Amino acid sequence: MNNFLSALWIETLKMRRSKVPLFTAIGFSIAPLVGGLLMIILKDPEAARSMGLISTKAQMLAGVADWPTYFNVLAQAVAVGGAILFAIITIWVFGREFSDRTAKELLALPTSRETIISAKFVVIAVWTFVLSLFIFGLGLVVGKLVVIPGWSMGLLQTSFVDVLGTALLVIAMLPIVAFAASIGRGYMPPFGWTIFTVVMAQVAVITGWGDWFPWSVPALFSGAIGPRAEQLGIHSYVIVILFSIIGLVATYYWWRNADQTR
Amino acid sequence: MNYAIETNGLSKFYGDVFAVNKVNLRVKRGEIYSFLGLNGAGKTTTIRALLGMIRPSEGNVKVLGQALGPGGRGPWARVGHLVESPCAYPDLSVRENLDIARRLHGIRNPKVVDDVMNKLTIASYSNRKAGTLSSGNFQRLGLARALLHNPELLILDEPSNALDPAGIVEIRELLISLAREHETTIFMSSHILTEVNLLADRIGIIHEGSLIEELDAARLEELRSQRLVIDTRDLSKAREALASFEVTTLADGRLATNDPRAIASPELIATLLVNAGAPPIHLAIEQENLEEYFLRLTESNNE
Repeated sequence: MNNFLSALWIETLKMRRSKVPLFTAIGFSIAPLVGGLLMIILKDPEAARSMGLISTKAQMLAGVADWPTYFNVLAQAVAVGGAILFAIITIWVFGREFSDRTAKELLALPTSRETIISAKFVVIAVWTFVLSLFIFGLGLVVGKLVVIPGWSMGLLQTSFVDVLGTALLVIAMLPIVAFAASIGRGYMPPFGWTIFTVVMAQVAVITGWGDWFPWSVPALFSGAIGPRAEQLGIHSYVIVILFSIIGLVATYYWWRNADQTR
Repeated sequence: MNYAIETNGLSKFYGDVFAVNKVNLRVKRGEIYSFLGLNGAGKTTTIRALLGMIRPSEGNVKVLGQALGPGGRGPWARVGHLVESPCAYPDLSVRENLDIARRLHGIRNPKVVDDVMNKLTIASYSNRKAGTLSSGNFQRLGLARALLHNPELLILDEPSNALDPAGIVEIRELLISLAREHETTIFMSSHILTEVNLLADRIGIIHEGSLIEELDAARLEELRSQRLVIDTRDLSKAREALASFEVTTLADGRLATNDPRAIASPELIATLLVNAGAPPIHLAIEQENLEEYFLRLTESNNE
């Protein structure tokens, strides 16, 4: 346990000293800010048009100016933006050990490799979840400032589940990214993999197989193309959990057994 | 005998390519063992196998009497290492990098970080980001990490890399003191053969993946060939006078012979030269240096 706490302290220190948390927070903040802008446009299309803003496009993207629509925009942003930003965090946590050539310093130690990998996963999970909470909180502030109609405490609760549930499903797919960063020994292979899965998730939804494709499940959960009860079944969640476990097992197995030649 | 390092038929191959081929190493406790080889000879692969970073294709490895287990498990609390070039988290300070190593070694006392920084004379850089260090100080940081937990066994890949001449002497003295006063076993690879000459108790020479020679430093003295180097003002007369000896001309024009009679009695050569009207202006027995011995050995293995 002491070893694990030490490893956790170490991973947290690396994160604190990096600019990546700041950049990812700034990058993710765009989601509620753009959502707020869409609400401004939709609330008063004529005024928006006179300011040079395109109200028709906003209507196509969002719908109407109310809290349910705004929360839906936030959940979709977490599904798509989170898939990329959370992957970048994961790629950084694992890939930097190869880019900085420090991976070899994590191997022949009294602290086991499994302990170090577990600490990395915990840091990624906490970091991405806190980022999701931050986005939800920032979304509330922006929504209040923009003065959107249709607020209720019940809506707040269901939207909290929508946004954070979407975030958890995105987070569940991160072990595969960690595995790609490990076998790719750096940044580019897992980043290529992430882009590939984002594109394929769109294709799977378009072709009607999204509920069977784990990378599509977060977007469908967010309500991007309709109520999630119509889009997803139990099998969709089972597949996400299955791929999450596969990613975890593969990453642990790789760090334990692969030849470390860098 | 309980060796600090013991390998039995250690082999590592990638497809048809042998990186290391049936290497049997025996490193005694408390000795300084130098591992020599050309680039690509298999030094780093062997070192990685000793540290459980790669799995042997064949054979086994014991470190401090313990066979390396699955997942690279071994007695790592008692082993310090520096593999290839040193590395550190560039956006963390020297102190933070060493504190990471301290925690990964499960050492509670943070004072060990100060102690090792003082030992490696990098205390004045403690708050400097590792990424801004000179290559020499970066090397010292790597060595500090290896020494942090006072290991019984040090496995060092090119420990003198990037150090200035004063740094090389300093690290040499530190390693000698660790071996002599604290009985630390040191297994090190090096390209700096003069360093090896000054440090090693035993030397292993690896070539194309195979351990072709393993010998004590004292035995190396005996094996290194000697020659008598001769210089006169009239080299052609000198050649005629020494016709009964096998004489070669060195790159600088001087003459040299490996003939045991000449090495045993250089005064005989002096007399012959004086009588021939070509008195010597330089007559000295020179011993082959480690570099020449190493090259002779690896070249003969290539033939």
